[in-house]
Amino acid sequence: MFGYESANRSLPVLRRLASVVAMVTLAAPAILHAGIWDEGNIENGQALFNANCASCHLVTNEVLAAPGLAGIADRWGSSEEVLVQWIQNPQAAAATGDPYVKSLVDRYVGTYGWMTAQAVSADDVKDIMAYVQNPPDVVASADTGSDCPTIYDALEEEQGANGTIWFLILLTLFLIIALSAATVRKSLEQAANQATEMEDAPYSVRFRAWAWDNITFVSILGLFVVAYFVVIGYQALMGVGVYQGYTPDQPVKFIHSVHVCENEVDCQYCHHSAYESKHAGIPSTNVCMNCHKAVKKGSRYGEVEIGKIYAAIGFDAESGTYLDGEGKNGYQGPQDDFQGEPLKWNKVHNLPDHVFFSHQQHVVVGGLECQNCHGDVGKYTVGRIAPVEEINGLVNDFPGLIELSKPTLTMGWCIECHNKAEISFASSGYYEDMHNRLKDDLRGNEELRRYMEDEKTTVKELGGWECSKCHY
Amino acid sequence: MADNKIYWSGLEELDRTPEFERIESQEFPAERPVDAFLSDDRLQRANTGRRDFLKFMGFSVTAATLAACETPVVKSIPYTNKPEEITPGVANFYASTFYDGHDFVNVLVKTREGRPIFVKSNTETGYGRVNARVNASVLGLYDSARLRAPQLNGEATSWEVLDAAVRKGLEGNGRKVLLTGTVMSPSQQRAIATLVEAAGVEHVQCDAVSYGAVVAAAEQDFGRRVFPSYQFAKAETVVSLNADFLGTWGDSVWYTAEWAKTRRPEQGAMSRLHAFESGMSLTGSNADRRTRVKPSQQGNVAAALLNEINGQGHVAGLDEAVLAAVKSAAADLKSAGAKGLVVAGDNDLATQGIVNAINQALGALGTTVEIHAKASLHQGDDAAFAQLVEDMQGGRVSALIVDGINPAYHGADAEGFKAGLEKVAFSVSTALYADETASRCKAIAPNHHWLESWNDLQIDPSRIDIAQPTIKPLYDTRHVTESLVAWAGQSVDAYTFIRQTHSAAYTAEAMYTDQNWNTGVHNGFLAVEAAEETVPAYLGTALAGALAEVKGRKGGGFELALYRKTAMGDGQQAANPMLQETPDPITKTTWDNYVTMAVSDMKEMGLNTYIAQEDPASVVRVTVGDLSVELPAFPQPGQAPGTVGIALGYGRGADGEAIGRAAFQVDGSGDHMMDAEGNLVPIGANAFPMATLRNGAPDYNAYDVTVEGTGGTYPLACTQIQHTYMGRDSVVKETTFDSYLAESGADRGQASWNKTIGLNVHDDINGDGEINALDKKAAGEFDLWHEHAVDGVGHRWGMAIDLTSCIGCSACVTACHIENNVPVVGKDEVRRHRDMHWMRIDRFYASEWDMERGEEEGLGVISTYGKMEEPGSNPQTVHMPMMCQHCNHAPCETVCPVAATTHSNEGVNQMTYNRCIGTRYCANNCPFKVRRFNWFHYPGYDKFQNFNPAQDAIQRMVLNPDVVVRSRGVMEKCSLCVQRTQSAKLEAKKAGAPLEDGAVLTACAEACPTNAITFGDLNDTNSEVRATYDNNRTYHALEEVGIQPNVAYLTKVRNTPNS
Repeated sequence: MFGYESANRSLPVLRRLASVVAMVTLAAPAILHAGIWDEGNIENGQALFNANCASCHLVTNEVLAAPGLAGIADRWGSSEEVLVQWIQNPQAAAATGDPYVKSLVDRYVGTYGWMTAQAVSADDVKDIMAYVQNPPDVVASADTGSDCPTIYDALEEEQGANGTIWFLILLTLFLIIALSAATVRKSLEQAANQATEMEDAPYSVRFRAWAWDNITFVSILGLFVVAYFVVIGYQALMGVGVYQGYTPDQPVKFIHSVHVCENEVDCQYCHHSAYESKHAGIPSTNVCMNCHKAVKKGSRYGEVEIGKIYAAIGFDAESGTYLDGEGKNGYQGPQDDFQGEPLKWNKVHNLPDHVFFSHQQHVVVGGLECQNCHGDVGKYTVGRIAPVEEINGLVNDFPGLIELSKPTLTMGWCIECHNKAEISFASSGYYEDMHNRLKDDLRGNEELRRYMEDEKTTVKELGGWECSKCHY
Repeated sequence: MADNKIYWSGLEELDRTPEFERIESQEFPAERPVDAFLSDDRLQRANTGRRDFLKFMGFSVTAATLAACETPVVKSIPYTNKPEEITPGVANFYASTFYDGHDFVNVLVKTREGRPIFVKSNTETGYGRVNARVNASVLGLYDSARLRAPQLNGEATSWEVLDAAVRKGLEGNGRKVLLTGTVMSPSQQRAIATLVEAAGVEHVQCDAVSYGAVVAAAEQDFGRRVFPSYQFAKAETVVSLNADFLGTWGDSVWYTAEWAKTRRPEQGAMSRLHAFESGMSLTGSNADRRTRVKPSQQGNVAAALLNEINGQGHVAGLDEAVLAAVKSAAADLKSAGAKGLVVAGDNDLATQGIVNAINQALGALGTTVEIHAKASLHQGDDAAFAQLVEDMQGGRVSALIVDGINPAYHGADAEGFKAGLEKVAFSVSTALYADETASRCKAIAPNHHWLESWNDLQIDPSRIDIAQPTIKPLYDTRHVTESLVAWAGQSVDAYTFIRQTHSAAYTAEAMYTDQNWNTGVHNGFLAVEAAEETVPAYLGTALAGALAEVKGRKGGGFELALYRKTAMGDGQQAANPMLQETPDPITKTTWDNYVTMAVSDMKEMGLNTYIAQEDPASVVRVTVGDLSVELPAFPQPGQAPGTVGIALGYGRGADGEAIGRAAFQVDGSGDHMMDAEGNLVPIGANAFPMATLRNGAPDYNAYDVTVEGTGGTYPLACTQIQHTYMGRDSVVKETTFDSYLAESGADRGQASWNKTIGLNVHDDINGDGEINALDKKAAGEFDLWHEHAVDGVGHRWGMAIDLTSCIGCSACVTACHIENNVPVVGKDEVRRHRDMHWMRIDRFYASEWDMERGEEEGLGVISTYGKMEEPGSNPQTVHMPMMCQHCNHAPCETVCPVAATTHSNEGVNQMTYNRCIGTRYCANNCPFKVRRFNWFHYPGYDKFQNFNPAQDAIQRMVLNPDVVVRSRGVMEKCSLCVQRTQSAKLEAKKAGAPLEDGAVLTACAEACPTNAITFGDLNDTNSEVRATYDNNRTYHALEEVGIQPNVAYLTKVRNTPNS
């Protein structure tokens, strides 16, 4: 029930936070070597700021989860040592009785709570302050050093490719028709010159006569036309029920690349039930709020898209509190009586009702990476059915990824994998038990020998190709 | 011995009627009106020519194909604020308690995504085992006929307005009465006390089915007005005088499991059950000796038993056969002594008084019969109710609050109650529906459904059982306790009120911190200090009077015994389509009420005794005093001649009350039928008014009734001769306990009562040098098909069903129905043999006469057969659950042209719906006839609109999301609950540990109150089901066919008395 609290599935940021808290208790008293407002290393400061401060503070004077830091050098009304102490251990700094710190506590702690103690040295603080005083351009920084695609890049690329194919097909068709027309005209002229008695014959008779005269050309052309339609027809039929590349519009312009690629949120932070249930699930809105209670402005769409989450769950961005059914704010958690319009997502990976698929079976027991079936979602914008070729291309990034040939999300694709994926009898007590049964029984032993002919046991051999493993 | 018995599913099979022979030879015998269709001249008038037809068809096919290419857009709506304990796709179980005024049982409720979808017994910490009525009750939660808001004068209103109206109504000058069923909740009792004090209200209890005479007899003989606690597990001999304690009588949800504990032959001892009754009840069908007695003679039988036990000689006026049975029962009771138990079902003070005397004489008080000091079940006071009705009619009642019961339907004087209700200035009901009573009240304050509410309930002095909500109330309803307290002028929510009952200092801050309460909610009960129980002294002052009273009883032409059906009970759930469609365990009839009659009587009256699809039943008029009902007559083997039986619980909604759409009859196209006045037509007729008032309590018998044929006919949807075995009778094996003991050490296949079936081979098998009839090979050794590697390979799911323990109660049928989304198809389709039950219970009658007995009594072969075929005689009964046997050599698999049904290496015969093209070859080739074909799109077709749960926007929430709803044109059948085995395997894999025995049970095994069904992994050498395969009672049905099923049966053992 409380699975997402366990460490291996939590957000990397949270994990880091935990280690930071642990370090604070061990941190040695800081010794300040130089003036804090002096030149520090801006680049180092930016890294430190992003790691430690950015989840609550902005470098502008806007409020994220705590006051913005713009102009801090001008307004800090106490000593530099106190500033370092305030960052390393706010409660201890307040305990010194410094009047400026007291004024900060009175003013902000009631609203935002105590700042988390940060494990940074005095030199680090110097670098951070250098960065805070001279923040580089935000947009420019996003562009540098990140291999995360910008919005809809992947999607547009995909659509572009499709367009080109159609353009080429049309062009070829046009050329064929134009060429034939020209040839036909030329041949007809020749024929007319040769046999004037045909002049009165109907067009069809003349055409037949012409075709007979140009039998080679007509045959080759005809063959191409037939072959073309056979290929087109075959592809069209094989494409029935194949939804590779399906990328429906979504009610919120949610961008996976921002969350997964740029901010390194683990897949399971939002889709945590992949570990616990057959459904990976679309995260409930309150999961979004874990971060977006603080992050009120997106890097791409500002407040528009995040505002849709707030509307659904009843969150008042201004006061940072939740609303109840009567529109009153001030609540710390979502209110049950708030009747917002829930977010209605368009399902991307649709399976028919008669297919039973369990995420936990594949992720927990099978140990598959999400990417094995979904592709590198971190590079996408919204959810999409990744074409199998694209998934196969990830094999270098994800060792253990199984390369397949059938289109994604078709039954052929499923059972191809079941035929390739191996099971290790030693992997768990359950499979060990199955192994023992095979070994101990005469008929089982025969069966086992058959499994091991290719020196591996696949999912198929243990029944993974049987109908009612998935259909019931 | 068993070999010579003749088993028959109904008179039609016994007498081999033409209709039966037609049906028997066909898997799908329903008439297909091809000729009628083709000869319809409207076809000739059609102006679509062949060419046009082809054009239309071509266009349609193309259009359909193109339409199918488009990606369907499916919406996915996550929780906005997800409750912490819910993970979509993962089931949660909550301990709760079911109490509907009659059945009281601790349950576990399975919820998915916050929706309760399955109810099962809480076997770990609970009391009682779930029966068909309880596990099907989950459907009632989603019934769209439930009231969605409080009502005042027929209009929806708000709770404030309603409360004000009730408080004003309680200011009147006359009697102010709160009329409830038996209140088992300490909190509700406290709320009632508050209301009594605040508003001067009187509290009257009245049960739907009265047990007034039983509690009155306990008061008279032991000084305690309680319903005795019968300890069936301690009993060695049980005598039931018309008490259907395995089905509907008393606390049957508890008795069933307790009694079954004494019926395991392997224990070396078995209890014996004698039954005396007029109609065939579930208990009678399971009796070791069943004797037919007319209702008017029941008292005399009790008296005769008492006399025999006391050695006071015989009672005059009993048949010789009955007297012999009484002597036999008395001898068994005497030898059991304090471990004997007599229960009587008649709600008659005299009979109950004599029964108390018998149990006292046996010394059973304190062992098998406990008279607790604290009252619990069945506290209805018939006299107080009668007085109330009188006062209502006299205009002396100014306000009436009705809770939990429906006296305008089941009251002893329902008509009087209705008339009186009109004179009551203010009346309010807390019913969930605008039922017979509520629709006549001024106001309705709808209570929550039991799955929506908190409750505390007490049946056992040492514990308080807790009911907890498993879903937020669907509609604007309110807990009855909260309503009562509100009308007393206090404002407190039901939960707080209940917590305060158990801890006066409770405040909302302590909601989660009371560890004792939390444990209680988790386990389903709070342990409480109970006073030491004492055995009360027997007074016996009224015995002489009772004996004299029963002696003078005489019956008229016909006698009537009113009974309750196992599925329908007292009729509360008349609108539950799954219960309506569950075949009655005895008559195998669905969707109807009827008059059970002795075959000899029917023949004498010229009524039809054969019922089949094309053979409708004759309608008879049964008259008691000035009341009469017209119902179809059902020929019931084992019915005492001169008696008739009618089930209670039918005829609900006779004035068109909105009690649910499935409670009414539908026509062939699925529309509700309307009577001449435009009212909906109820199913069956209400027989409650036919009860006779005896000593103020309604006795559900009438000693003088007339029965006459009306000449009309009425089709019944009776399944008894559907899906038969085409004359193969090696399905059932049975023996007596004595024969069992004589060979209890024999190996499987060796004992005379369970010999392995051998087939002759042209080979010298036995090595005697000759090839002759002695050369037999066991049927299981023949291999016609390629061997399936199932032994030792992974799991091999298997099931063993003990026919000795199976009582036929049908809890497994409803459990399977709900778990597997089995469609409800309605009466018309059942009549056409198109019922969809994956699991059916075959009820075979077997004549007591067999060749051996004929020989002993010196009868020739011919006359022995004659005796055996006397249908009016008292047949023995065998209940046999039958579902797909998952044959390792399955005949269905070899005939499927598209390999839609295949064998898994787990021994399961798989049915792949998406591959099936509906040839139905498999069903034709199944020797057990357990395959079901989807003739229609049940979730969408109009014919099923008025009862199929999937056709109701709310009710379809009960569907199990792990099982697909099958589409039209495919076969389906028992899957051995593959969704459960798959999920258990996954849990084991996740835990990285071997799958433990007992970690997975099929729905039927889980529902079985007597543990007759064992399920598990046959490849697990330590599993319980593996052990049953070595049991010498184990056999496979139709073993000689050589299909090697993975389902086994254990030979039925009857503890037949020798005398």
